[in-house]
Formats: sequence, C-alpha cells, structure tokens
Amino acid sequence: MGVIYLASLLAGIVCMLLLDHRFRLFFWHDAKAATVVTAVGLAFFLAWDIAGIGLGIFLRGESAIATGILFAPELPLEEPVFLLFLILCTMVLFTGAREVLARAADRKGTGGASAAARSSHGKPARERENA
Amino acid sequence: MTYLWLALAFVVASAVAGVAFARGAGRRHWQATGIAFAALAVLTAVFDSVMIGMELFHYDSQHLLGASIGLAPVEDFAYPLAGVLALPGLWAWMTRRRRTLDGGHPTTPHADAKAGSTDGLTGLLPQAFVASRPISWINTAYPFAAAMLLTTREVDWVLIVGTFYFLVPYNLAMYGINDVFDYASDLKNPRKGGIEGALLAPRLHRPMLWLAAVTNVPFLVVLAAAGGPASWLPLLVSAFAVVAYSAAGLRFKERPVLDSITSSTHFVSPAVVGLAIAGATVTPGLVILLAAFFMWGMAAHAFGAVQDIEPDRQADIASIATVFGARRTVRTAVVLWLLAGLAMLATPWSGPLAALIAIPYIVNCARWWNVTDTTAARTNVAWRRFIWLNYGSGFLVTLILILQWSLTS
Repeated sequence: MGVIYLASLLAGIVCMLLLDHRFRLFFWHDAKAATVVTAVGLAFFLAWDIAGIGLGIFLRGESAIATGILFAPELPLEEPVFLLFLILCTMVLFTGAREVLARAADRKGTGGASAAARSSHGKPARERENA
Repeated sequence: MTYLWLALAFVVASAVAGVAFARGAGRRHWQATGIAFAALAVLTAVFDSVMIGMELFHYDSQHLLGASIGLAPVEDFAYPLAGVLALPGLWAWMTRRRRTLDGGHPTTPHADAKAGSTDGLTGLLPQAFVASRPISWINTAYPFAAAMLLTTREVDWVLIVGTFYFLVPYNLAMYGINDVFDYASDLKNPRKGGIEGALLAPRLHRPMLWLAAVTNVPFLVVLAAAGGPASWLPLLVSAFAVVAYSAAGLRFKERPVLDSITSSTHFVSPAVVGLAIAGATVTPGLVILLAAFFMWGMAAHAFGAVQDIEPDRQADIASIATVFGARRTVRTAVVLWLLAGLAMLATPWSGPLAALIAIPYIVNCARWWNVTDTTAARTNVAWRRFIWLNYGSGFLVTLILILQWSLTS
C-alpha cells in the first residue's frame, strides 16, 4: 500500500497553512469563521462525491500510490483529505487575491471612502508587518 | 451526461448560496473570486490530469460529456467553481457580521478577537441543537429508515445518508423555521425554552434560516439524485410541508385542519420518501398503513395544539384547537386514533397487531374528553406522557416489523 498520494496531500495542506499563517489570511485571520467555512465546504463536497458514487459516475482507481483504505465503496481515505486541501487552496487564493486588490487600491490612492468602507480585510496583516 | 447534471445541481446551489451570503460584499469580493477561480482552473487542469494519469480515480465514461482539458473531464472544473462561488461568500458573511459590530471601523486583531465573543452568531449552534428538538429526531428518521430497509432489505449508502438527513437537518429545518416565525407567540408561552422548543433570540433568526437551508438543500439534492424521478414528488412534498407549516405567508399551522394535515405530513412523508427511493410496489395494504399513520399524526398534532389554546389566542394565532375549541379537538383526536387503529386491522398480517398501539393513545387522550378551553393548558400532562408513549410505540412497532421481516423472508 502506498502513502505517496496521502503524503503529497498533507504536504499541500501544510503549505497552504504556512501561507495562511504568514499573511494572516484565513484561520489566522478569524479561526471561528474559517472553521465553519471549512466544515461546511467539506460536508458540501463529500455530499457531492457520495452522490456521484451513488450514481455510478466516480470510480476509485487502483493506483499503487494510494493507501487503498476505504471509508465506503469507491470512497478512499484520501478523498476527504483532498477536499480539505481544495477548500484551503480556494480560501487562501480568495483571501490572498482580496488582500492584493486592497493593497493595489491603497497604492493608487483610490482609498478615501472605499478604504474606510473596506473594513478589516487585509488590515491586520499589514499592521503586523509594520509593527 | 449524468455528471453534468449532478455538477450543475451543486454549482447552482453554491451560486445561490454564494450570492446570498456575499450580498453587499462589494465589487472587490467578486474580483477576488474571479482571480481565485482562474488560478484554481489552471491548478485543476494540471493536477487533475496528473491524478487521473496516476490512476487515483476514474470515471464511468458513459456519464461524461466527453470533452476534457488534459486528462481532466470538463465537468471536474465544477468542483473549484462551486467552491469558489460559495465558500468566500460564507466567509464574507461571517467576517462582516463581526466588523459591523465595531461600527464598521477597521479593527485591530485584538478588537477582532474580542468581538468574536459577542458577535451575531454566538450561540447559534447550541440554539440550533435545542431548536431541532433532539428528543423528537427519531420520529422522522425512523419512518424513513424502516420503510426503506423493509423494502430493500439491505443497508446501503442511501439508507445511511437519508436516515441522517431525517434525523438531524430535517428537524433543524422544521423546528428552526417554526421557532423563528413563532417568536411572538412563544414569548407569551411559559412552556418554551426546554425540550419542547427554544425561545430563539431575534438576532439568530436569519442565521437559523440560513443554517436550515444550507444543511437541507445538499441532502435533498443527493436523495433526489439517488432516488430518481419517482422520489422527486415525495421529496418536494416533504420539503414543502416543512417550510409551509410555519413560514410567513404560507403559515399552514394557522389554517385549522390544514395545520394537522401538514404536521402529519412531516412524519409520514419521510416514510413515503423511503418507499419511493427503494422503489416499493404500491399495494392496498401499504396504502392503508400509510393512511393509518397519517391519521395518527393528525391526532397527535391536534391533541398537542389543545394545551396552547390560551397563548395562541393571545398572540392571535389560529390552530385547529383555537377554532374547534378544546373539547371538540380532543374528541377529534380520539376518533382519529380510533380510526387509525381500526384501519390497521384491515392490513395484511402482521399489520393488525399495530392496532393495539392505538389503545394507549386513546386512553391517554380520552381522559380529557370533557376538557374546557379554560382547563386546556392542563392537557400538557398528557402531552408530556405522549412524548414518552411514542418511544414505547416505537419499540412495539419495531417488534412488529421484525416479525414482518421474518415472515416475509
């Protein structure tokens, strides 16, 4: 049984969390909200997977790099871990993109009213870096 | 093609949720969403191809459109699309709530953390738990599980997913919506705030409705996909009854007789959904059984409404009991339980055994045969007993079902 796939996924998750930590994007921005978003996302994607498996669309592979451990027919151990990675990746990309957009707007001096209305998105990270 | 429809269902659901959550989040929210999706699409094209190439998973090709990017079927891009539509919206909604608490000013991390303890969502999950009436969860999950298991005779994933749905999310929707829209009358009812229902703080009303929606819709989509067209009408009726019972505008619970009918639908429809998903054959015996169950449910609702006559009238809420009066309602309930018991006598063996189960209900309720509107509140004693009576009945029904199982296998 192989652990390469599982290990790669876990490594990917660690990388996402490091980015999150460095720029205070998601869990390090608001742990409670991030937990809820992750849990809802995981439940949503798992329901989708299970529906696909039930309809006979998704089939597990017989790859040598997978552990072969199954939660349910055609639902390997790695799948929820992959979904977790997908959610983290999505949220790090989104919160990161928002941060970049906010900074670009600040630099252009289009701040003013929009900067005040922009709220805390991006603020904590910058304040921390300046400190 | 099937994968496309499945993906569309989930993408549409997440788009609706995402737009609703992100309302007022501004242009930058959607710009960031676009950037994130562009990046995710590239990652998906690369890594999906690698994963499929490594034979980590594959697809039944007859369900695919056939178009692919690299090795990744185009339908796979629905995953990141759905994720990027819904999750940032939920995130924006949750984090915005706490910012408005600080008056909209940019906050320091410290103030952010402090606001966390007083933000608008504090206590939502514990309240949702109480609101869903854990003591009654089994009443909706059991009919589904029993109906499906007795038809298919095996425990498959649909049975597990469906049972969980009717155990928790379904009840959360049913009672959560009820508590939101009944707030006015519940305020005047000393009975609320315990096992018989939460008194829901107004700030949690909107979050509770959202929680009900996001916990129910995915399950309904999955069950509809698994059950096929035959299950769609029962699922629709079931979900509609849950919403229509108490939601503003429909308020079936305030339309005498329709209130009892809708309430009974809450308990009978899970069984019908189970039968439909399992593809049961419709026999006269099965129809009689469901009719008896339906009358039992109507009686239970009508009798339960008697104790609330006073608070309901004070809050100008109509129910079968406020319109019929306590005495006529109690008598109607007794007659309905009697009819339910008699109907079971007409079902094939071992169904007639279930007629016995009607007796304790009739005895418990008949004591109040001459109740008046002024003494109506006292029927709460019998109502509390009724809740426990249901557990005993569940036990007896289970024994009968085991007997039925052994007789027919």
